[in-house]
Amino acid sequence: MKTLSASSLALIGVAFAANLYAAAPAAAPRTVSATDMQFFENKIRPILVEKCYKCHSREADKVRGGFLLDSHDGLLEGGSTGPAIVPGKPDESLLIQAIRYKDPDLQMPPKGDKLSDREIADLTEWVRRGAPDPRGLASKSGAPSKYGGVGRQHWSFQPLTKPAVPTIKTPEWSKTPVDNFILAKLEDAGLEPNAPADRRTLIRRVSFDLTGLPPTEAETSAFVADQSPDAYAKVVDRLLASPQYGERWGRYWLDVARYSDTKGEPEKRRDPRYPHAWTYRDYVINAFNTDKPYNDFIVEQLAADRVVAESSKKILAKDPKAVIDQTSLAALGFLTLGNKFEGRDDDIINDRIDVTTKAFLGLTVSCARCHDHKFDPIPTKDFYSLYGVFANTYEPTIPAELPTLFSRLRKTPELEDYLAKLQDLKANKAKADQEFAELQAEFRRTRTRDQQKNQMAQRQQTLADAALYDLEATHPGAPARAHGLVDVQRSRDYPVLIRGESKNVGDVVPRRFLEILSPDPKKRPEWHDHSGRLELAHAIADPKNPLTARVLVNRVWQQHFGEGFVPTPDDLGNMSAPPTHPELVDYLASRFVEDGWSIKKLHRLILLSNTYQESSNANAKYADIDPDNKLHWRYNMRRLDFESVHDSLLAIAGTLDLKLGGKAIPIGSEDFATRRAVYTFIDRRNPAEILTQFDFPSPNVPTGKRYMTIVPQQSLFMMNSPLVIETARKLTHRPEFLSVKSDEERVASLYLAIFQRPPNAQETALSLRYVESNPGGTSTEAPIATLQSKAASRQAELQAMQAKNAAKNLRGKNAYQAEPGGAAFKSRAPIDAWTKLAHALFQTNEAMFYN
Amino acid sequence: MAHDHHHSHSPCCGISTDIEDYFLTRRQFLNRVGMGMGALGLATMMDPAQLIGAPGPVAASSLTPRPPQFAGKAKSVIHIFAQGAPSQVDTWDPKPTLTRMNGKTISAGGVAMGSPFKFTKMGKSGIEVSELFSNLGQHVDDMAIIRSMYTDIPAHDVATVFMNTGSLRLSKPSLGAWSIYGLGTENQNLPGFISLRAGGLPPGGAANYGAAFLPGIYQGSSVNTQAASVQQMIQNIRNQYLPLKEQRRQIDFVHQLDQMQSKNLEHEAVLETRLESYEVAFRMQAEATDAFDITKESAETLAAYGISNPGPMAARGGARPAAARGGGESQGKQLLIARRLIERGVRFVQVWHGGWDHHQDLEDKITLKAGEIDKPLAALMTDLKQRGLLDSTLVVWGGEFGRKPTRDRNANDADKAGRDHNAKAFSTWMAGGGIKGGTIHGATDEFGAAAVTDKVHVHDLHATILQCLGFDHTKLTYRFNGRDFRLTDVAGNVVKPILA
Repeated sequence: MKTLSASSLALIGVAFAANLYAAAPAAAPRTVSATDMQFFENKIRPILVEKCYKCHSREADKVRGGFLLDSHDGLLEGGSTGPAIVPGKPDESLLIQAIRYKDPDLQMPPKGDKLSDREIADLTEWVRRGAPDPRGLASKSGAPSKYGGVGRQHWSFQPLTKPAVPTIKTPEWSKTPVDNFILAKLEDAGLEPNAPADRRTLIRRVSFDLTGLPPTEAETSAFVADQSPDAYAKVVDRLLASPQYGERWGRYWLDVARYSDTKGEPEKRRDPRYPHAWTYRDYVINAFNTDKPYNDFIVEQLAADRVVAESSKKILAKDPKAVIDQTSLAALGFLTLGNKFEGRDDDIINDRIDVTTKAFLGLTVSCARCHDHKFDPIPTKDFYSLYGVFANTYEPTIPAELPTLFSRLRKTPELEDYLAKLQDLKANKAKADQEFAELQAEFRRTRTRDQQKNQMAQRQQTLADAALYDLEATHPGAPARAHGLVDVQRSRDYPVLIRGESKNVGDVVPRRFLEILSPDPKKRPEWHDHSGRLELAHAIADPKNPLTARVLVNRVWQQHFGEGFVPTPDDLGNMSAPPTHPELVDYLASRFVEDGWSIKKLHRLILLSNTYQESSNANAKYADIDPDNKLHWRYNMRRLDFESVHDSLLAIAGTLDLKLGGKAIPIGSEDFATRRAVYTFIDRRNPAEILTQFDFPSPNVPTGKRYMTIVPQQSLFMMNSPLVIETARKLTHRPEFLSVKSDEERVASLYLAIFQRPPNAQETALSLRYVESNPGGTSTEAPIATLQSKAASRQAELQAMQAKNAAKNLRGKNAYQAEPGGAAFKSRAPIDAWTKLAHALFQTNEAMFYN
Repeated sequence: MAHDHHHSHSPCCGISTDIEDYFLTRRQFLNRVGMGMGALGLATMMDPAQLIGAPGPVAASSLTPRPPQFAGKAKSVIHIFAQGAPSQVDTWDPKPTLTRMNGKTISAGGVAMGSPFKFTKMGKSGIEVSELFSNLGQHVDDMAIIRSMYTDIPAHDVATVFMNTGSLRLSKPSLGAWSIYGLGTENQNLPGFISLRAGGLPPGGAANYGAAFLPGIYQGSSVNTQAASVQQMIQNIRNQYLPLKEQRRQIDFVHQLDQMQSKNLEHEAVLETRLESYEVAFRMQAEATDAFDITKESAETLAAYGISNPGPMAARGGARPAAARGGGESQGKQLLIARRLIERGVRFVQVWHGGWDHHQDLEDKITLKAGEIDKPLAALMTDLKQRGLLDSTLVVWGGEFGRKPTRDRNANDADKAGRDHNAKAFSTWMAGGGIKGGTIHGATDEFGAAAVTDKVHVHDLHATILQCLGFDHTKLTYRFNGRDFRLTDVAGNVVKPILA
């Protein structure tokens, strides 16, 4: 697994070689009665696990006597001294003789650790009964397990077929086939779709939807004036082609990928950061921007190392000196950037199974970790088949050992400096590790344990590790790297852990795909190509996989409309509500595969529909019939998420820096006040308070749909945050605003900037009255600083200083404490009437929603 | 049937001391334009400069305090969530048989792990209390311990949300949200439901204190008590640019613009929630800073809660890792804040104390965990009693499920072993408003593996809590999508023997 050293890799080899079980002859069909099964599980298995497995199982460090009793076959076959049991004849069974401790040369467990009389009696009774042993039954028979059969008929497990486009009574309403499916159902219900939204509303909607930003004034008026029939299609295409599209849609995927810049619970004495996590974030953004086919996107996130190895072989065959662009290795961050669970391999693997199956398949396979899935046909064995895949991988333990994004680096003075420092720090780390190891050896030798010395040695290790992470995170010459992983050299299958307990080892299961999703469940190919990751990736990205395309289509639809066909995007299994439009799901999924897994083509199919362009106007009668708008008689009003609130304020004020990519930005830093929110540093353990308050999802679980809240803290941010107020000030101090002649035109200018529409007469009147009744007058010059604001300025400076310190501290420990963008605003100068007006407009519902 | 008073949403007004004038303005404004948002419109548009006038009656709001269905003993709740599933046999459910069988294979499936902790009879009731809770044990005569809790699924995220919402899969309102929906809240200057955490969000996130389909104003407000200062606990609590009067004028202006825009949108619930949320936010500025500021407590009180340093920590480099996991002095801080909130009329306070998931090294880890809260929680009980608040405050302590009586990881090393998840048995205790102290309810089997006598399901616990607050859980309902929903779904039986 993730932090295997060379020596533990060798161990895997040993264990593999010792796995006699794999070569054991197939057992004859056998059955075990329910009573015998219970007897075995309650009495026998616990003894075997507790008292015998330490030396006689595949998990043993060194198998003693060539004898394994963690399987039925192993028991019968026995070890160097012959068969261990003769079923039905306890007295003739070596195993029973050994545990009775009668023969001085044959005593097990050894060293006087004799079993209790009760345990001996139980084992004797068991052999007398014929040693009924349920282990290995199902896997040997080759028949599907009797468990996990629930819910096989569920719609999403059925093969994907492309339904015919329905005929509708008013075909002229249909702009893309999407409309036929939607209108057919509306017609059935006797409802009519809303009229199209007006152009200002529409461009605002589609701009927020695709880029997370409002349209500019110029873009809006150009669209309003464009009389060409494809005016709207041009807007859609422009937005899809803009780099801001990838930042928006990439973020949705990062929610699903439970992306974070930190480990949550780091391995013991390891730094909590992922210094290169941002390369995965940038990979995702770029994948959306370049419309990377979704099947490639899947394969790269699970097995980019294999893809890159294959392609570089070809390139190097032509040109041995070629520099290989292996940027796609960063895709593996999908697997590696999860919680590190204090280094607990079981939990890390579970997390990887969870994210993989939820993200791509909409299945909660990790529910089958301890028992067969309660609701879906996923037996525990399937979980451990995937467990085997991820268990046969490992990650380098220090970041400098991670692969760089290019196979060779251009020498620069910064790089040279970095390499020199790296060498020192690595030596430093090696020394600390060695000293710690020596100390442990000394403790063992002397049978003492000096806590103080121990802590000191540990501290040295921690410091050495942190220095290496600091170098990676902050040195300007540190090359960008991928948080990749690779397969171990000799892969093996892993056993089921009964009830998920690490000591409770069951049958070894082959690495292979989920039974329910396999074309022929009885002939599932076993995976032997290294870990099997590549095979897993291909099985998921297979056009015949009934779930992959449906899940993606549901995700995309949800982000466009606020609600998917199925309301639980990460679970399309039996516990999910039935899809509102099953035929449309299948139509879109089929088209998606036909169109080369192109997400941008899918967007077009949806966005160019009349359904998407409906107005969001209310209709009391319809609201009674279909309150949740499941039939799409109108467009749903949408609240901006945190990223859009943040980014749109900056965009409106003209202060948004559209620079793409790069290292993560601490929330308290000056950059936070200019860069897009997708680049924010995400600390898994302590997410920044502002993110939490605005429903940013926990990076511990894949989240396809954010839980939406409206809490006072959000209002406080809009009312009081210097980020919001200073942004309003910037908006009203731009030359183009200051040069406006009349107050009416000023109001109009703010309305156009913030809402992309002119104000109506009443809004203008109300706004003017608000400005005119300002106690400080209507000038754009603020009144002289009051006492309050002087005190506030001092506090602001202090906060800015703290924020700057937090920004330096990329370990993220203090990130949540920092005020967003605090460092950008050192003063709290009073604000004038126009800034107050702009600030007020920022706070309206209209600014926080699009419709 | 839903209660009538819940259908009369209207913009809110409150009572305050500091900034009363501006509230009066607000009240008068709303009274002039009529009740509720529906009536607010262009015809009643007002000059924002002329909003100051004579005081009018307080308009009813979603948060206005209101009587329960019958006289409940508890007026407020402090729910301490020991997240991670604390082991019952080491805390509130002593099992001598298990201790006797220590190291032996038992019928519960696995090797028995007797509790390494001593239990001592405490109080007049003589209830046996684990040495882990030697301080808290002083209050055992006020506590009703339910030893026969059970739940549905032993997975942390799901079970945690289940304990708070009674729902395994669908997004349903949380216990706190139901409480505010039923009772409103006493203090209009603070959210009625506050969720305190020391660090990151709990597993399951905001669903644990969410409003789901109830009006959003009943949603819990989550506060990170590990923040270095009150200003960072509730970020942006101060406006550093505008005096309150100016801010009031601005917010009223914003509300007016909102009314003009919302006429076409049938999303009143969301928009109305946003308006109410603004009003709470505005009023919080007057009181929240004080409510969360434990530096205002006496040295004796701080010491009782085990707080040596109530002040900012940022200057010294911020929260330590132990604190981020709810350790250190963080529980004392949280509980003291909880008391300050309850004292000020906050209806429901959730306190998160994570880290009880002890698969291995249980003895060390649970000692540490219990040590974090034993003294502060005992102090809270004393404090509530001294202030006469315990009678009206229901204190609930418990996790999302329990643990097995057998060894899990490190099974070969008794000292380092831990326990695995167990949905079939766990212990929860309640004290204060409406609870008969010194009570033990229900029992598990001889090993503590499964509840067997007087079993109490999560729904039953919820029904009992609502009962203490003065509600028949079958009658506190909310109509959504054509169906009357309730916290206890179609289940739930009040655990009467533990009621006073």
